[in-house]
Amino acid sequence: MKDELEAFVLREARLLDERRFAEWLALFAEDAVYWVPTLPTQASPQEALSLFYEPKTLLAMRVARLERPDLHAQTPVSRTVHHVSAVEVADLEVRSALVVAEWRAGETRWFAGRVLHRLRREAEALRIVLKRVDLIDSEAPHRAIAVPF
Amino acid sequence: MAPEYSSLVERGRVHRAAYIDPAVFALEQERIFRRAWLYVAHESEVPNPGDYVLRRLGSAEVLLVRREDRGLALLHNRCAHRGARIVAEPAGNARQFRCPYHAWTYGLDGHLIGMPLPEGYAEKVELGLERVPRVESYRGFVFGSHAAQGPGLAEFLGGLASAFDNMLDRAPAGTVSRFGGALRLEYRGNWKMFMENAVDLVHPPYVHRSSVETARDQPQALAADGLTQQGAQMFLANGMRAAQWDEVPLHAFPGGHVYMGGFYRSGVIAPERADPVYERYRAQLVERHGPEKAAAVLAVDRFNNLVWPTVSVNSRFAVLRVVQPLAANRTVVEVQCFRLDGAEPAMHELTLQFVNLAASPASLVASDDLELFERCQRGLEGAAGDWIDVRRGALADRRQPDGSTLGRGTSELAIRHQFAAWLQHMTQ
Repeated sequence: MKDELEAFVLREARLLDERRFAEWLALFAEDAVYWVPTLPTQASPQEALSLFYEPKTLLAMRVARLERPDLHAQTPVSRTVHHVSAVEVADLEVRSALVVAEWRAGETRWFAGRVLHRLRREAEALRIVLKRVDLIDSEAPHRAIAVPF
Repeated sequence: MAPEYSSLVERGRVHRAAYIDPAVFALEQERIFRRAWLYVAHESEVPNPGDYVLRRLGSAEVLLVRREDRGLALLHNRCAHRGARIVAEPAGNARQFRCPYHAWTYGLDGHLIGMPLPEGYAEKVELGLERVPRVESYRGFVFGSHAAQGPGLAEFLGGLASAFDNMLDRAPAGTVSRFGGALRLEYRGNWKMFMENAVDLVHPPYVHRSSVETARDQPQALAADGLTQQGAQMFLANGMRAAQWDEVPLHAFPGGHVYMGGFYRSGVIAPERADPVYERYRAQLVERHGPEKAAAVLAVDRFNNLVWPTVSVNSRFAVLRVVQPLAANRTVVEVQCFRLDGAEPAMHELTLQFVNLAASPASLVASDDLELFERCQRGLEGAAGDWIDVRRGALADRRQPDGSTLGRGTSELAIRHQFAAWLQHMTQ
């Protein structure tokens, strides 16, 4: 099962790099939450501000917008590498380390953090119930972020 | 470029040096950010003696400290001995401040308590942590000024003090408290662009088109969970037609301050709510103010209130955006939110959601603003043409008896007004 879950999170990251956003969204359960808190110790999105706090319906709007030609923050589009490593699996929880390199409009920038995937089996398929990304510099000033982590 | 500063602003146009020239930026630091009242922090961030927060005040790093006598001290974070930064954590509580280098030690008001080897000095050392000359609180909102002389804080705030009053009136207990950390946005562009864009009501349908159209394509979002609904309403509102934006009048005050009124009434960006949480909140306000004043408090439907040069206030959602100019082409905006004291937690959650949706660097709205600021900076830096045009709507600007100017929502009045204040500072 460890191999299956590891393959799942690696594929999820690759879908973002290949800009297959609709397929990426389909990996999330209907009641899923995609969350990037601002504080490393943040227990909930109700406690403090978040860089992203999106139930699937809101995430679906983000994904639909990513496909639009009039999204200025993605004109030109980004090229990214989501590097996932140090994968640890316990039941249906996957913990990993993430480094994202993003190249856009002549500049490269980097993000790094820890990721928690909470998964569920739905009709034989794995689905994401929670994806939490804790950036090491979550409190730092950030320029516009368009592609999810 | 060696511009004559008085010639950078003409009737209806501004020279690009105002945005890109490092010499202009340096002079702004001296003549604007060392003179004006700049926002520091809220008193609720330093409730107890010894509490401190580390903040930026213009180009200086300062400590706001709650003294033993419960007064406030605003001190430069620099040891009087050899110049080391004394405090390195963003906030904390201290009985005294001790420099980690040679242990010079200061009281909470900055006076020197002691140092090792005092016998090595011929006379008593009278140094201390340098104080920012003026610190004042307007009903809990603390501002500092590097200038020893000048108008007091209330006079400086003028017509915009009402933005803070309205935020406090919206709190069932009459006070607000900072909570929820902060969101910090950065862009490679000039600080003035943020202050201009916050009261630019022509850009939304164009800059935010991708989120407007996404929300139009997904009408089911308006019937989804509360958070998604809030987002969809916000995205759709940016798609209002110019005639609708014109109904959001701009009020410009001496000193560069501006607010836009009539926002919630005209649009759907955040319609009045009818759910039980909001009804209970409204009942609390009626209890505090009586029905007439409570209705009047809730009817104040301004969106952004600019206290030039550093703060944008949203009273209804209890949000401040604080601008920190770092260089001619680099700016950080810190977004802070407040609890309406006495309201139930669900109201605070609404504030967090609003700020996440509207103001995160990953926001479906703010990310496009940040992109456009960077495009403006690159355009101004790299291409031909020395001037930008800010004439739109000037014919309809109307001076008011109180000294303010009223303009249509689509007017560039706010930009002209901010540059009038800018020019006044820069040439004096």
